[in-house]
Amino acid sequence: MGLFADLRDSISAVTAKLFAGESEDPKRIGIYGPPNAGKTTLANRIARDWTGDAVGPESHIPHETRRARRKENVEIERDGHTVSIDIVDTPGVTTKVDYEEFLDHDMEKDEAVRRSREATEGVAEAMHWLREDVDGVIYVLDSTTDPFTQVNTMLIGIIESRDLPVLILANKTDLEDSKVQRIRNAFPQHETIELSALEGENMDEVYDRIAEKFG
Amino acid sequence: MPHQCTNCGHTFADGSKEMLSGCPECGGNKFQFHPSEVPDDAPDDATEEPPERPDTGVPSAVGKAAATVRDLVRDDTPVSDDATSPDDETPQTADAPETAGGPSPGAPSADDGNRDPPDATPGQSTGTDSEPDDGGDDDAEDAAQASARSEMVTADDLPERPPSEGRVVKEPDADADEPDMEALREELNEQFESIKVLAPGQYELNLMELYDREEYIIALQENGRYVIEVPETFAGSERREE
Repeated sequence: MGLFADLRDSISAVTAKLFAGESEDPKRIGIYGPPNAGKTTLANRIARDWTGDAVGPESHIPHETRRARRKENVEIERDGHTVSIDIVDTPGVTTKVDYEEFLDHDMEKDEAVRRSREATEGVAEAMHWLREDVDGVIYVLDSTTDPFTQVNTMLIGIIESRDLPVLILANKTDLEDSKVQRIRNAFPQHETIELSALEGENMDEVYDRIAEKFG
Repeated sequence: MPHQCTNCGHTFADGSKEMLSGCPECGGNKFQFHPSEVPDDAPDDATEEPPERPDTGVPSAVGKAAATVRDLVRDDTPVSDDATSPDDETPQTADAPETAGGPSPGAPSADDGNRDPPDATPGQSTGTDSEPDDGGDDDAEDAAQASARSEMVTADDLPERPPSEGRVVKEPDADADEPDMEALREELNEQFESIKVLAPGQYELNLMELYDREEYIIALQENGRYVIEVPETFAGSERREE
Protein backbone atom coordinates (compact mmCIF):
# COMPACT_ATOMS: atom_id res chain seq x y z
CA MET A 1 0.00 0.00 0.00
CA GLY A 2 1.18 3.42 -0.88
CA LEU A 3 0.25 4.60 2.55
CA PHE A 4 2.61 2.20 4.21
CA ALA A 5 5.30 3.12 1.78
CA ASP A 6 4.73 6.77 2.68
CA LEU A 7 4.84 5.89 6.32
CA ARG A 8 8.06 3.99 5.98
CA ASP A 9 9.50 6.85 4.00
CA SER A 10 8.60 9.30 6.67
CA ILE A 11 9.95 7.07 9.39
CA SER A 12 13.14 6.45 7.55
CA ALA A 13 13.41 10.16 6.92
CA VAL A 14 13.11 10.78 10.64
CA THR A 15 15.65 8.12 11.54
CA ALA A 16 17.97 9.35 8.83
CA LYS A 17 17.65 12.79 10.30
CA LEU A 18 18.48 11.44 13.72
CA PHE A 19 21.67 9.82 12.57
CA ALA A 20 22.79 12.26 9.94
CA GLY A 21 22.12 15.45 11.84
CA GLU A 22 19.54 17.99 10.84
CA SER A 23 21.60 20.40 8.84
CA GLU A 24 21.39 18.61 5.51
CA ASP A 25 17.73 17.76 5.33
CA PRO A 26 15.15 20.30 4.28
CA LYS A 27 12.76 21.30 7.01
CA ARG A 28 9.39 19.71 6.71
CA ILE A 29 6.79 22.45 6.89
CA GLY A 30 3.20 21.43 7.49
CA ILE A 31 0.48 23.62 6.09
CA TYR A 32 -2.27 23.40 8.65
CA GLY A 33 -5.59 25.08 9.22
CA PRO A 34 -9.33 24.52 9.17
CA PRO A 35 -11.09 23.20 6.07
CA ASN A 36 -11.47 25.61 3.17
CA ALA A 37 -8.89 28.07 4.44
CA GLY A 38 -6.92 27.79 1.20
CA LYS A 39 -4.15 25.45 2.28
CA THR A 40 -3.94 23.57 -0.99
CA THR A 41 -4.18 26.78 -2.99
CA LEU A 42 -1.21 28.09 -1.01
CA ALA A 43 0.71 24.82 -1.32
CA ASN A 44 0.11 24.83 -5.05
CA ARG A 45 1.11 28.48 -5.29
CA ILE A 46 4.38 27.82 -3.49
CA ALA A 47 5.08 24.63 -5.42
CA ARG A 48 4.29 26.22 -8.77
CA ASP A 49 6.35 29.29 -8.02
CA TRP A 50 9.44 27.31 -7.12
CA THR A 51 9.16 23.91 -8.77
CA GLY A 52 6.63 24.32 -11.56
CA ASP A 53 4.45 21.49 -10.25
CA ALA A 54 1.26 21.53 -8.26
CA VAL A 55 0.67 19.67 -5.03
CA GLY A 56 -2.94 18.65 -5.45
CA PRO A 57 -6.37 19.66 -6.70
CA GLU A 58 -8.05 22.71 -5.21
CA SER A 59 -11.74 22.93 -4.61
CA HIS A 60 -14.47 24.91 -2.94
CA ILE A 61 -15.79 21.71 -1.46
CA PRO A 62 -14.57 21.26 2.08
CA HIS A 63 -12.20 18.37 2.69
CA GLU A 64 -11.02 18.20 -0.89
CA THR A 65 -7.65 17.29 0.56
CA ARG A 66 -8.13 14.10 2.49
CA ARG A 67 -4.61 12.82 2.57
CA ALA A 68 -1.52 14.76 3.44
CA ARG A 69 0.39 15.56 0.27
CA ARG A 70 4.00 16.35 0.22
CA LYS A 71 6.13 18.33 -2.16
CA GLU A 72 9.74 17.76 -1.38
CA ASN A 73 12.76 19.93 -1.84
CA VAL A 74 11.04 23.16 -2.63
CA GLU A 75 13.90 25.59 -2.89
CA ILE A 76 12.98 29.14 -2.13
CA GLU A 77 15.54 31.77 -3.02
CA ARG A 78 15.69 34.89 -0.91
CA ASP A 79 18.41 37.50 -0.86
CA GLY A 80 20.94 35.35 -2.62
CA HIS A 81 20.59 32.28 -0.46
CA THR A 82 18.35 29.28 -0.84
CA VAL A 83 16.03 27.78 1.70
CA SER A 84 15.01 24.21 1.04
CA ILE A 85 11.77 22.93 2.53
CA ASP A 86 9.39 20.04 2.14
CA ILE A 87 5.83 21.25 1.96
CA VAL A 88 3.18 19.04 3.51
CA ASP A 89 -0.33 20.03 2.55
CA THR A 90 -2.64 18.57 5.19
CA PRO A 91 -6.38 17.96 5.31
CA GLY A 92 -8.37 20.67 7.03
CA VAL A 93 -8.58 20.03 10.74
CA THR A 94 -11.99 20.00 12.32
CA THR A 95 -13.76 18.36 15.23
CA LYS A 96 -16.78 17.29 13.24
CA VAL A 97 -17.19 15.74 9.83
CA ASP A 98 -20.67 15.20 8.48
CA TYR A 99 -21.42 13.74 5.07
CA GLU A 100 -24.47 15.98 4.85
CA GLU A 101 -22.32 18.99 4.19
CA PHE A 102 -21.17 17.33 0.99
CA LEU A 103 -24.70 16.74 -0.20
CA ASP A 104 -24.97 20.44 -1.00
CA HIS A 105 -22.25 19.97 -3.58
CA ASP A 106 -24.21 17.69 -5.86
CA MET A 107 -22.85 14.54 -4.42
CA GLU A 108 -24.59 11.22 -3.97
CA LYS A 109 -24.99 10.03 -0.44
CA ASP A 110 -22.64 7.08 -0.82
CA GLU A 111 -19.96 9.29 -2.23
CA ALA A 112 -20.54 11.86 0.50
CA VAL A 113 -20.27 9.22 3.22
CA ARG A 114 -17.07 7.87 1.71
CA ARG A 115 -15.65 11.35 1.42
CA SER A 116 -16.59 12.04 5.00
CA ARG A 117 -14.79 8.92 6.19
CA GLU A 118 -11.72 9.79 4.22
CA ALA A 119 -11.75 13.32 5.55
CA THR A 120 -11.89 11.99 9.09
CA GLU A 121 -8.97 9.70 8.42
CA GLY A 122 -7.21 12.68 6.93
CA VAL A 123 -7.66 14.73 10.08
CA ALA A 124 -6.32 11.85 12.13
CA GLU A 125 -3.36 11.69 9.82
CA ALA A 126 -2.77 15.43 9.99
CA MET A 127 -2.82 15.36 13.78
CA HIS A 128 -0.45 12.43 13.83
CA TRP A 129 1.96 14.18 11.50
CA LEU A 130 1.84 17.25 13.65
CA ARG A 131 3.10 15.11 16.48
CA GLU A 132 5.65 13.07 14.59
CA ASP A 133 6.75 14.57 11.41
CA VAL A 134 6.71 18.32 11.10
CA ASP A 135 9.50 20.80 11.77
CA GLY A 136 7.49 23.95 11.32
CA VAL A 137 3.95 25.06 10.61
CA ILE A 138 2.32 27.46 8.22
CA TYR A 139 -1.09 28.01 9.71
CA VAL A 140 -3.56 29.19 7.12
CA LEU A 141 -6.75 30.98 8.08
CA ASP A 142 -9.56 32.31 5.98
CA SER A 143 -9.55 35.99 6.89
CA THR A 144 -13.26 36.30 6.14
CA THR A 145 -14.17 33.97 9.00
CA ASP A 146 -13.93 34.21 12.74
CA PRO A 147 -10.54 32.92 13.89
CA PHE A 148 -11.69 32.37 17.46
CA THR A 149 -12.58 28.73 17.13
CA GLN A 150 -11.92 25.69 19.23
CA VAL A 151 -9.91 24.08 16.47
CA ASN A 152 -7.67 27.09 15.90
CA THR A 153 -7.07 27.61 19.57
CA MET A 154 -6.28 23.95 20.12
CA LEU A 155 -3.97 23.60 17.14
CA ILE A 156 -2.07 26.79 17.84
CA GLY A 157 -1.79 25.62 21.43
CA ILE A 158 -0.36 22.28 20.34
CA ILE A 159 2.07 23.97 17.98
CA GLU A 160 3.19 26.29 20.76
CA SER A 161 3.55 23.41 23.18
CA ARG A 162 5.88 21.71 20.72
CA ASP A 163 7.82 24.91 20.25
CA LEU A 164 7.45 24.64 16.51
CA PRO A 165 8.16 27.75 14.48
CA VAL A 166 4.88 28.98 13.07
CA LEU A 167 3.71 31.55 10.58
CA ILE A 168 0.07 32.53 10.53
CA LEU A 169 -1.25 33.43 7.13
CA ALA A 170 -4.42 35.46 6.78
CA ASN A 171 -5.62 34.21 3.44
CA LYS A 172 -8.30 35.37 1.04
CA THR A 173 -7.54 39.07 1.28
CA ASP A 174 -8.98 39.36 -2.22
CA LEU A 175 -12.44 38.93 -0.72
CA GLU A 176 -14.38 41.95 0.40
CA ASP A 177 -15.10 40.89 3.95
CA SER A 178 -11.55 39.91 4.68
CA LYS A 179 -10.55 41.08 8.17
CA VAL A 180 -6.88 40.49 8.75
CA GLN A 181 -6.77 42.45 11.97
CA ARG A 182 -9.19 40.03 13.55
CA ILE A 183 -6.61 37.28 13.06
CA ARG A 184 -3.80 39.46 14.38
CA ASN A 185 -5.89 40.11 17.45
CA ALA A 186 -6.64 36.43 17.88
CA PHE A 187 -3.00 35.37 17.86
CA PRO A 188 -0.96 38.43 18.82
CA GLN A 189 1.91 36.23 19.95
CA HIS A 190 2.58 35.14 16.39
CA GLU A 191 3.47 36.87 13.20
CA THR A 192 0.50 37.17 10.86
CA ILE A 193 0.98 37.79 7.16
CA GLU A 194 -1.90 38.64 4.90
CA LEU A 195 -2.13 37.22 1.43
CA SER A 196 -4.33 35.97 -1.30
CA ALA A 197 -2.95 32.61 -2.32
CA LEU A 198 -5.49 32.48 -5.10
CA GLU A 199 -4.49 35.83 -6.60
CA GLY A 200 -0.86 35.60 -5.60
CA GLU A 201 -1.07 38.83 -3.62
CA ASN A 202 1.73 39.57 -1.15
CA MET A 203 3.53 36.30 -1.89
CA ASP A 204 6.89 38.05 -1.78
CA GLU A 205 6.43 38.85 1.87
CA VAL A 206 5.22 35.32 2.49
CA TYR A 207 8.42 33.90 0.98
CA ASP A 208 10.54 36.36 2.93
CA ARG A 209 8.96 35.24 6.16
CA ILE A 210 9.15 31.55 5.24
CA ALA A 211 12.85 31.93 4.57
CA GLU A 212 13.38 33.78 7.84
CA LYS A 213 11.32 31.43 9.92
CA PHE A 214 12.22 28.07 8.47
CA GLY A 215 15.53 28.70 6.79
CA MET B 1 -23.63 12.72 20.23
CA PRO B 2 -21.35 13.96 22.92
CA HIS B 3 -22.00 17.07 24.92
CA GLN B 4 -23.81 20.08 23.69
CA CYS B 5 -24.09 23.57 25.12
CA THR B 6 -27.73 24.10 25.99
CA ASN B 7 -27.33 27.80 25.39
CA CYS B 8 -25.81 28.08 21.92
CA GLY B 9 -25.84 24.47 20.77
CA HIS B 10 -22.09 24.27 20.38
CA THR B 11 -21.07 20.64 20.52
CA PHE B 12 -18.01 19.14 22.09
CA ALA B 13 -16.12 16.05 21.22
CA ASP B 14 -16.52 13.33 23.74
CA GLY B 15 -14.73 14.12 26.89
CA SER B 16 -13.63 17.50 25.69
CA LYS B 17 -11.83 19.18 28.53
CA GLU B 18 -12.85 22.55 27.20
CA MET B 19 -16.29 21.98 28.55
CA LEU B 20 -15.00 22.06 32.07
CA SER B 21 -14.20 25.74 31.73
CA GLY B 22 -17.42 26.69 30.01
CA CYS B 23 -18.55 26.96 26.43
CA PRO B 24 -15.93 28.73 24.32
CA GLU B 25 -18.67 30.11 22.09
CA CYS B 26 -21.07 31.66 24.55
CA GLY B 27 -19.58 31.08 27.98
CA GLY B 28 -22.51 28.90 28.95
CA ASN B 29 -21.98 26.25 31.55
CA LYS B 30 -24.92 23.97 30.99
CA PHE B 31 -24.31 21.04 28.72
CA GLN B 32 -26.43 18.17 27.80
CA PHE B 33 -25.03 14.75 27.34
CA HIS B 34 -26.14 12.03 25.02
CA PRO B 35 -25.21 8.62 26.32
CA SER B 36 -23.05 6.40 24.21
CA GLU B 37 -25.71 3.84 23.45
CA VAL B 38 -27.63 6.20 21.19
CA PRO B 39 -25.06 7.03 18.54
CA ASP B 40 -27.29 5.69 15.81
CA ASP B 41 -30.11 7.95 16.81
CA ALA B 42 -27.82 10.81 17.53
CA PRO B 43 -28.55 12.93 14.48
CA ASP B 44 -32.27 12.80 15.18
CA ASP B 45 -31.80 13.29 18.85
CA ALA B 46 -29.52 16.15 18.19
CA THR B 47 -32.26 18.07 16.52
CA GLU B 48 -34.91 17.14 18.97
CA GLU B 49 -33.29 16.96 22.29
CA PRO B 50 -31.38 20.10 23.03
CA PRO B 51 -34.10 22.20 24.60
CA GLU B 52 -36.29 19.41 25.80
CA ARG B 53 -34.67 16.46 27.40
CA PRO B 54 -32.07 17.19 29.97
CA ASP B 55 -33.12 13.94 31.61
CA THR B 56 -30.30 11.69 30.67
CA GLY B 57 -26.67 11.65 31.50
CA VAL B 58 -24.44 13.37 33.91
CA PRO B 59 -25.50 16.98 33.55
CA SER B 60 -29.05 15.92 34.21
CA ALA B 61 -27.81 13.99 37.20
CA VAL B 62 -26.26 17.19 38.41
CA GLY B 63 -29.54 18.85 37.63
CA LYS B 64 -31.30 16.21 39.64
CA ALA B 65 -28.88 16.77 42.44
CA ALA B 66 -29.70 20.43 42.31
CA ALA B 67 -33.38 19.57 42.32
CA THR B 68 -32.83 17.29 45.27
CA VAL B 69 -31.08 20.08 47.06
CA ARG B 70 -33.92 22.37 46.15
CA ASP B 71 -36.38 19.86 47.53
CA LEU B 72 -34.36 19.55 50.66
CA VAL B 73 -34.33 23.28 50.91
CA ARG B 74 -38.03 23.30 50.49
CA ASP B 75 -38.47 20.61 53.06
CA ASP B 76 -35.85 22.10 55.21
CA THR B 77 -37.93 24.59 57.05
CA PRO B 78 -40.47 22.08 58.33
CA VAL B 79 -37.80 19.45 58.80
CA SER B 80 -35.57 21.66 60.80
CA ASP B 81 -38.49 22.89 62.79
CA ASP B 82 -39.51 19.35 63.43
CA ALA B 83 -36.05 18.70 64.57
CA THR B 84 -36.00 21.66 66.86
CA SER B 85 -39.50 21.20 68.18
CA PRO B 86 -39.97 17.54 67.76
CA ASP B 87 -43.05 16.67 69.75
CA ASP B 88 -45.60 19.26 70.60
CA GLU B 89 -45.13 22.02 68.19
CA THR B 90 -46.05 20.55 64.85
CA PRO B 91 -48.88 23.03 64.32
CA GLN B 92 -46.60 25.71 65.57
CA THR B 93 -43.99 24.74 63.03
CA ALA B 94 -46.59 25.45 60.42
CA ASP B 95 -46.93 28.87 61.99
CA ALA B 96 -43.28 29.39 62.37
CA PRO B 97 -42.47 29.45 58.67
CA GLU B 98 -45.42 31.74 58.13
CA THR B 99 -44.23 34.22 60.65
CA ALA B 100 -40.76 33.73 59.41
CA GLY B 101 -42.17 34.28 55.97
CA GLY B 102 -43.35 37.70 57.04
CA PRO B 103 -40.00 39.35 57.63
CA SER B 104 -38.10 37.25 55.17
CA PRO B 105 -40.19 36.41 52.15
CA GLY B 106 -37.42 34.14 51.06
CA ALA B 107 -39.14 31.16 52.58
CA PRO B 108 -42.25 31.12 50.43
CA SER B 109 -40.30 32.03 47.35
CA ALA B 110 -37.96 29.17 48.06
CA ASP B 111 -41.05 27.03 48.14
CA ASP B 112 -41.80 28.23 44.66
CA GLY B 113 -38.56 26.66 43.71
CA ASN B 114 -37.53 29.58 41.55
CA ARG B 115 -34.66 30.63 43.68
CA ASP B 116 -31.15 29.41 43.62
CA PRO B 117 -31.49 26.97 46.40
CA PRO B 118 -27.97 26.75 47.76
CA ASP B 119 -27.56 30.48 47.83
CA ALA B 120 -30.97 31.39 48.99
CA THR B 121 -31.40 29.03 51.86
CA PRO B 122 -28.32 29.56 53.93
CA GLY B 123 -28.93 33.27 53.78
CA GLN B 124 -32.53 32.73 54.51
CA SER B 125 -31.99 30.36 57.36
CA THR B 126 -29.41 32.54 58.96
CA GLY B 127 -31.71 35.48 58.36
CA THR B 128 -34.66 33.97 60.10
CA ASP B 129 -32.59 32.49 62.82
CA SER B 130 -30.45 35.48 63.44
CA GLU B 131 -33.47 37.69 63.76
CA PRO B 132 -34.56 36.28 67.10
CA ASP B 133 -31.04 36.88 68.31
CA ASP B 134 -31.18 40.43 67.07
CA GLY B 135 -34.58 40.91 68.64
CA GLY B 136 -36.97 41.34 65.73
CA ASP B 137 -40.73 41.15 65.57
CA ASP B 138 -40.66 37.41 65.81
CA ASP B 139 -38.66 37.69 68.92
CA ALA B 140 -41.56 36.94 71.18
CA GLU B 141 -42.54 33.72 69.56
CA ASP B 142 -39.06 32.52 68.83
CA ALA B 143 -37.93 33.43 72.28
CA ALA B 144 -40.84 31.47 73.67
CA GLN B 145 -39.88 28.52 71.60
CA ALA B 146 -36.31 28.99 72.53
CA SER B 147 -37.07 29.08 76.21
CA ALA B 148 -39.31 26.06 75.86
CA ARG B 149 -36.53 24.22 74.18
CA SER B 150 -33.85 25.53 76.44
CA GLU B 151 -35.44 23.62 79.25
CA MET B 152 -34.72 20.41 77.47
CA VAL B 153 -31.63 21.38 75.57
CA THR B 154 -28.70 23.39 76.72
CA ALA B 155 -28.68 27.01 75.75
CA ASP B 156 -25.52 26.45 73.77
CA ASP B 157 -27.54 24.53 71.28
CA LEU B 158 -29.51 27.56 70.30
CA PRO B 159 -26.74 29.51 68.61
CA GLU B 160 -25.52 26.26 67.18
CA ARG B 161 -28.75 25.58 65.48
CA PRO B 162 -28.38 27.95 62.59
CA PRO B 163 -25.12 26.44 61.48
CA SER B 164 -26.56 22.99 61.93
CA GLU B 165 -29.45 23.98 59.75
CA GLY B 166 -26.98 25.30 57.26
CA ARG B 167 -25.34 21.94 57.30
CA VAL B 168 -28.57 20.20 56.69
CA VAL B 169 -28.77 22.15 53.50
CA LYS B 170 -25.19 21.71 52.57
CA GLU B 171 -24.62 18.10 53.43
CA PRO B 172 -26.90 16.64 50.83
CA ASP B 173 -25.54 19.22 48.46
CA ALA B 174 -22.03 17.97 49.00
CA ASP B 175 -23.12 14.37 49.02
CA ALA B 176 -24.98 14.82 45.80
CA ASP B 177 -22.40 16.91 44.05
CA GLU B 178 -19.19 15.10 44.72
CA PRO B 179 -20.18 11.73 43.35
CA ASP B 180 -21.62 13.48 40.35
CA MET B 181 -18.42 15.34 39.68
CA GLU B 182 -16.55 12.07 39.98
CA ALA B 183 -19.04 10.39 37.73
CA LEU B 184 -18.70 13.24 35.28
CA ARG B 185 -14.94 12.89 35.23
CA GLU B 186 -15.22 9.15 34.81
CA GLU B 187 -17.63 9.63 31.98
CA LEU B 188 -15.31 12.10 30.34
CA ASN B 189 -12.36 9.79 30.70
CA GLU B 190 -14.25 6.81 29.42
CA GLN B 191 -15.40 8.70 26.40
CA PHE B 192 -12.03 10.06 25.59
CA GLU B 193 -11.95 8.40 22.25
CA SER B 194 -10.11 9.72 19.27
CA ILE B 195 -12.90 9.35 16.79
CA LYS B 196 -16.52 8.69 17.44
CA VAL B 197 -18.73 7.35 14.70
CA LEU B 198 -22.13 8.92 15.24
CA ALA B 199 -23.56 7.39 12.11
CA PRO B 200 -22.13 6.32 8.80
CA GLY B 201 -20.43 9.40 7.43
CA GLN B 202 -20.79 11.39 10.63
CA TYR B 203 -17.83 11.66 12.91
CA GLU B 204 -16.69 13.55 15.94
CA LEU B 205 -12.99 13.94 16.43
CA ASN B 206 -11.10 14.50 19.61
CA LEU B 207 -8.14 16.40 18.23
CA MET B 208 -6.18 16.41 21.44
CA GLU B 209 -6.49 12.67 21.77
CA LEU B 210 -5.60 12.15 18.11
CA TYR B 211 -2.53 14.25 18.66
CA ASP B 212 -1.61 12.55 21.92
CA ARG B 213 -1.94 8.96 20.86
CA GLU B 214 1.06 7.18 19.55
CA GLU B 215 -0.89 4.87 17.34
CA TYR B 216 -1.68 6.06 13.90
CA ILE B 217 -5.27 5.65 12.78
CA ILE B 218 -5.17 4.74 9.15
CA ALA B 219 -8.60 3.46 8.30
CA LEU B 220 -12.05 3.85 9.73
CA GLN B 221 -14.80 1.30 9.69
CA GLU B 222 -18.43 2.12 10.01
CA ASN B 223 -18.96 -0.15 12.98
CA GLY B 224 -17.03 2.27 15.11
CA ARG B 225 -13.74 0.40 14.85
CA TYR B 226 -10.68 1.66 13.19
CA VAL B 227 -7.48 0.19 11.95
CA ILE B 228 -4.44 1.52 13.65
CA GLU B 229 -0.77 1.18 13.18
CA VAL B 230 1.10 0.68 16.41
CA PRO B 231 4.60 2.12 16.46
CA GLU B 232 6.22 -1.16 17.46
CA THR B 233 4.70 -2.91 14.49
CA PHE B 234 5.73 -0.40 11.89
CA ALA B 235 8.50 -2.58 10.59
CA GLY B 236 6.29 -5.58 10.08
CA SER B 237 3.39 -3.51 8.76
CA GLU B 238 1.09 -5.43 11.04
CA ARG B 239 -2.38 -4.20 11.43
CA ARG B 240 -4.38 -4.34 14.51
CA GLU B 241 -7.99 -3.53 15.03
CA GLU B 242 -8.97 -1.69 18.06
